[in-house]
Amino acid sequence: MPGNSSAPAQVRLAHEGEVHPHGANDGKAASQRDASSDSASSDESHTMPDRASARRPRMVAVTNANPDTPKPLPTLPAKLPAWMSNTRKNHIFHKRGPYNYDVYNVRPLALDLNAVAVGHAFAYEDMVTGKAATLETKTFERIQRVLKNPPKFMPDEANISPTFGRKYGVLEQVFDWTHILHAQTVDVLTSTQLTHAEKEREIEALWKFYFESVPYAISPLPMNMEWLDSQPYSMAFRTKYPKVNGLFWGYHWLQGTMYDGLYGLTAEQQKRSYEVIGKRYHTTELYRTNRAFMPMFAEVSPRFAARFPHIANAFDNLHMLHDMVNDILATPWMSERQKDEQIKRAMWIVSAEAHRNEKPGDNSGAMHDHRFMEGMPGMGMMRGSATELMWMQGMGWMSLSECHHCTMPLPKGDNAWRSSAISADGWTMRVRCALCARDMSAETKGAAVLRIPLESPDKMLVVIADEAGNLSTDTPDVLFIEEEGSHAKCHEWSRAFSSRAAFEKWVRDNPKYADAKLLTFAQWSHKEGDEPDTYAKPAGPTESDPYAPVASDATVASDATANEENR
Amino acid sequence: MSTHRVLVAVLSAVLALAAARPGGAVDHNNIDAGRPLDFDDAEAIAYREKALEFGGALVKPHGGKPGVQGAVEFLYGFAPNTHLSFDFDPRYSSEGNEKRRFDTGDVGVGLFHNFNREHGNIPALSLRADAYLPTGRNSRGIDLRVRGIASRQLRGNNRLHLNLDLALNNQARRGERKVQPGVLLGYSHPLGYPTRFDRTMLAQIGYRANEERGQSGIATLGLGLRQQVSVRSVFDLGLKSDLIGGRRRDAFQLVAGYSTQF
Repeated sequence: MPGNSSAPAQVRLAHEGEVHPHGANDGKAASQRDASSDSASSDESHTMPDRASARRPRMVAVTNANPDTPKPLPTLPAKLPAWMSNTRKNHIFHKRGPYNYDVYNVRPLALDLNAVAVGHAFAYEDMVTGKAATLETKTFERIQRVLKNPPKFMPDEANISPTFGRKYGVLEQVFDWTHILHAQTVDVLTSTQLTHAEKEREIEALWKFYFESVPYAISPLPMNMEWLDSQPYSMAFRTKYPKVNGLFWGYHWLQGTMYDGLYGLTAEQQKRSYEVIGKRYHTTELYRTNRAFMPMFAEVSPRFAARFPHIANAFDNLHMLHDMVNDILATPWMSERQKDEQIKRAMWIVSAEAHRNEKPGDNSGAMHDHRFMEGMPGMGMMRGSATELMWMQGMGWMSLSECHHCTMPLPKGDNAWRSSAISADGWTMRVRCALCARDMSAETKGAAVLRIPLESPDKMLVVIADEAGNLSTDTPDVLFIEEEGSHAKCHEWSRAFSSRAAFEKWVRDNPKYADAKLLTFAQWSHKEGDEPDTYAKPAGPTESDPYAPVASDATVASDATANEENR
Repeated sequence: MSTHRVLVAVLSAVLALAAARPGGAVDHNNIDAGRPLDFDDAEAIAYREKALEFGGALVKPHGGKPGVQGAVEFLYGFAPNTHLSFDFDPRYSSEGNEKRRFDTGDVGVGLFHNFNREHGNIPALSLRADAYLPTGRNSRGIDLRVRGIASRQLRGNNRLHLNLDLALNNQARRGERKVQPGVLLGYSHPLGYPTRFDRTMLAQIGYRANEERGQSGIATLGLGLRQQVSVRSVFDLGLKSDLIGGRRRDAFQLVAGYSTQF
């Protein structure tokens, strides 16, 4: 690619899917490996092109051991708002803007998103027309065909799933309206006309439009995902239809991952990033059947989630609603009427209206638990997590407020943009400095996208690591300093600058680095830092994987919590 | 002007419109009267949506000279489930075997309201009312038309659209009917599932009272196609023919159009 600069392959410490920040010989890394090794099982059911021979992390998908066993169902709240029973079409036009449909500036992403809409609709229509028995075969194959030959234009899901729409029209309204927010925020991010600051303002304006135009907006609050996924019907779909569920969670992975792959990047950087993301999506993420839980937005786009937590939460809540509806439809012991009621209840649970006047951080229990992970207001509580730590599949307990390489605190608030991030092996992690990003990439198998902030929020360096670890960038004139010392100060001594002038300007405020050696991209990409002296493996609330199935994991919400939404 | 030239001119105009980048988001499955057949589905355009629809038709009246007819319509979703429309249909045609002349046609103002979406076994139901101002050649009085619309899914992705019309000719001339009832049954089916999602086939059969007393009613058949040509626009093509209906019937109409939203 013109303008690219590439460096020879780095030494890559392939840890077979587990991320160990500091190499295999390190005692801390070994302990981390021990802690995370009980979350493992290879996914034998699908071929993973390109990396088929690579050993997959051993992981166990959490399933509802007895999806066919009837369980007590929570009752519907006594007084639900009128919109939940409306029989109108209520189609609302999207917010006007010069950016609409700019997703086609990253055409492969646009096409992939078009195919996502078809897949959902196929599955829903088949499930409500008595074809659930062939979901894993015929439906899966039809969806596959569309994923490989995506429509040129975004299809209207209602046209593909008319029976589903007739039965669950209000649910369709809820889905559609939040899908529009999804589409328009991506259009803004891919706009070539708007500046970074204008994009940020327009995304907030889109949120306001989304939230205020209809009564059926999804809650922007972080919600307790463990509770949402502990309903009497929970996990039925992933248990009975693991391949199609894998596709759905692959969609959610894409719909989350794309945000950090676009946010703050130039059009060219977005295209290059999507080459990596799109390949990962098509070869691996769509066919994973070993996820413990749906991909959470902040796990795959932490930078965007930290900047727009309300939007990240709404998308996670929407995706959880998709899962809950899937589970309800896949539960054989529920009558049609019970399914209608439980779908209505699921919509109510995640609706903004059900949580009116509640705030992020509030915890009134169960559905009103709006605590979030420390350092990440864009994610609610996960299974077994404490606010300080959450279990990340294949990695063990992680703090979202710390660098995933050196465990030093990440910048917060107005300085949050100063975090670097690395997307690799299906996850995206924030790190504290350019060195942490580069070395973490080197320690991870497969291709990676490194996003390293330059001197202002609107300037980002994107570095692509190919499968062999070769680094390249479309900004070859970038300069680095790397005056390695304690990682307590790595955010100072490891930095990237768009130009010498930018470096000199920064040095005026940081004179002790006046004599720092400036590195070219090629020089920087050859380097490898020492093991961070600050790294400390977090100790989680439990030793084991909270997603590991246990005998009593029948996932029945207690009467007290199940009916709490009635209050 | 020869029929061939007229056809070329109409198609060229439509293709020129299609080539210009439009500014909205039309869907090939949403059906409005005239684009390309005569029936409506029961869906209003979205709240706050604006749409422009253009069309041209080569018309061959039974026993008369061929002419061309245009159609321009603007729609605005001014309230939820409700839209306003403004349309006019200029034409270059002849009465009987007279010389062809240009006529601006009547200007129509319409209101469309959808009462409910399709749910359970209840079809989507809408009502449309149009008033036609006498701006055309030899036109007088304000004509009215009320149309009741019901759309219902059949098996799979097939849909039926029943349109019941009542047209009121307020200043009917001698020999003209004041009230003309009509019925249209439309059918739509997306073509290409599960491999493509940008094309819908349409068909219609209808019967309406003749404008002239003593003439038999007009039975019509039509076949059409709506093709998404960009994220924001749809091209349509249709062929209609009045099978019976005395002097006022058309041997055929070849219709092409383009719709865009913004």
